[in-house]
Amino acid sequence: MIALGAILAVTGATIGLGLYGVRLARTTSDLFVASRAITPWWNAAAISGEYLSAASFLGIAGLQMKVGSGALWLPLGFTAGYLALLLFVAAPLRRFGAYTISDFAEARLRSPRLRVLAAWVVLGIAGFYLVPQLKGAGLTLGEVTGAPYWVGVVAVGAVVALNVAAGGMRGITYVQAFQYWTKTFAIAFPACLLLIHLGGLPERAAMFGHEFPRAPDSGLVVQLAEPQRVTFPEATAYTVDGVPARAADGEERTLPSGEVRLPADAVVPVAEGIDAQRGEDWARPVERSGPSSAVFVYSLLVATFLGTMGLPHILVRFYTNPDGPAARRTTVRVLGLLALFYAFPLVYGALGRVLVPELYMTGATDSVVLRLPEAAWPGLGGELLGAVVAAGAFAAFMSTASGLMVSVAGTISFDLWRRGAAPVDLRRRRFRLAALAGVLAPVALALVARGLDISVLVGWAFALAASTFCPLLLLGIWWERLTARGAAAGLVVGAVAATGAIFAGLAIDGEHPTIEALLTQPAVLSVPLAFAVMVLVSLYGGGRRRAVDAELLALHAPEGLGLDEPAAMGQRAPA
Amino acid sequence: MRRTPRDELVESTAHGGLYLRRLIRAQLSLSLVALVAFGGIIGALPLALLLLPGLEDVDVFGIPLPIVIIAWPPFALFIAIAVLYVHRATALEESFRDLVEPEP
Repeated sequence: MIALGAILAVTGATIGLGLYGVRLARTTSDLFVASRAITPWWNAAAISGEYLSAASFLGIAGLQMKVGSGALWLPLGFTAGYLALLLFVAAPLRRFGAYTISDFAEARLRSPRLRVLAAWVVLGIAGFYLVPQLKGAGLTLGEVTGAPYWVGVVAVGAVVALNVAAGGMRGITYVQAFQYWTKTFAIAFPACLLLIHLGGLPERAAMFGHEFPRAPDSGLVVQLAEPQRVTFPEATAYTVDGVPARAADGEERTLPSGEVRLPADAVVPVAEGIDAQRGEDWARPVERSGPSSAVFVYSLLVATFLGTMGLPHILVRFYTNPDGPAARRTTVRVLGLLALFYAFPLVYGALGRVLVPELYMTGATDSVVLRLPEAAWPGLGGELLGAVVAAGAFAAFMSTASGLMVSVAGTISFDLWRRGAAPVDLRRRRFRLAALAGVLAPVALALVARGLDISVLVGWAFALAASTFCPLLLLGIWWERLTARGAAAGLVVGAVAATGAIFAGLAIDGEHPTIEALLTQPAVLSVPLAFAVMVLVSLYGGGRRRAVDAELLALHAPEGLGLDEPAAMGQRAPA
Repeated sequence: MRRTPRDELVESTAHGGLYLRRLIRAQLSLSLVALVAFGGIIGALPLALLLLPGLEDVDVFGIPLPIVIIAWPPFALFIAIAVLYVHRATALEESFRDLVEPEP
């Protein structure tokens, strides 16, 4: 109940500030861009606040508990993405004055049709990214109130869409900055208290070493809401609703719904889709095969390193920097803020293996962050900490989902709806309609995607972004011979390759582990492919080539020389 | 009157284009150097952890060394590379500024 109160408080504050923002938003451009006189620290906190999503807050620890330390490559890649952004994109893009990637595509290559194509890709990436946020919301609300999964998904989808339609939460840098500190506090404070409370890492063998996760001394009681297919790594006796039963070594069984009890020290059975791992295997960040195979790790690093720059809700935030150098300073601070946050999720993943091993049995490892405080600290203390964590998780969905919804609504209403000059009122109405319509598909997908890991879903968004917008941005900024035709071909090939591989991976039950890894995380192949297509079609695909000196000047010339008139004062940019 | 580099840039002459492209090339080389430094270290990590057996047996504060290696130090590396890069990139832009607008 305390947790529900905390969630409502966070949600209420977000809506309240959103509505307050409406009164400040007098012109359309205010809906999208806050005042440009915001310091790098505020901007950095706002970018980090928007970036740290359900995947960071719940997904890393959940995946770590499930597959092992291989999950720790995720935060590394999530952060490294900002290094790529800093080295190749931040300052030039800010100087160019492009507000979105679609703006950039059109202004740099003088092709309105490319803008439309880019808009579709934006919708694809945002869709992939919204699904895990909604999944996290359904999970969290279920944990806290016992409500069915779909309630949380639909509720958060509705709140975010209404909030965005009403105010454009994007406009409020300070809200996002506040969300960053909410999330960091919500993950760091319980983590520190847990470590102090437990006196460091618990000595129980299950964490590292030769052991499987085991039931605690008091035995393990698990309520199964529905029948669950599990594998017993070691033979053990157990009871279901008081009826005794016995499973043999490595036996696979379907447990009926009801109350399952395991005796003290029994090895916990694992749900379908989870490999029971001994501590030493679990601790290994790279393996020869399986979910942490080297191929998968490299592909994941490529996807996150190159995909971050292509996330539609992140790039927009850089527009709030007054100039190129400020964009660089902001990015450096983002690296610091993300490093601070990412120091903590692994505490939950590691402790969860010892303290809430029943999640292996239910398969719901994504909720380890939410479960851990109460498991470690029964009573009021745990409940209060649980409330802090749940509120932080909600801050994560709200801020990321709102940022994505603004991108989706903006893309639908400006890029895909009939373009051209329209009165402000009409544009605003279109934006609101688009926000309401744009949430439907992600909600539907989130309801279907219940069984998929949050981190895996987010990995797809990064793979798609890295295979499409990364080559467009890098070549567009640094290579003057890029043509509109080349860019379009690369976007199409990259998008088809990435999504095709992901869906193929879902459809096929892989027999070959390397192929399966590549289908689950295709970036290491699809990114070079997209680059190659863009370059080759630009060089040999014909089409007009024009002088691009004006664009190069706008991208790269330092400010204050009177040379840097932005080339892309898109129609969304403030006057 | 002599034409300054600034005029060349504004009027997009061949010379102006040369100045600009020199700046772009310098910036790109800097970024690529930083990328190689970063990519070399982070890119080598998974392979090193895969090929060096026995690292798991070393404990730091009760945590196996491979976890410690990827959990915290890379973030410090990112920040260090970022700070160095920003410093150099700003310096490159300053020298371009001096070229275009020499001190009187």
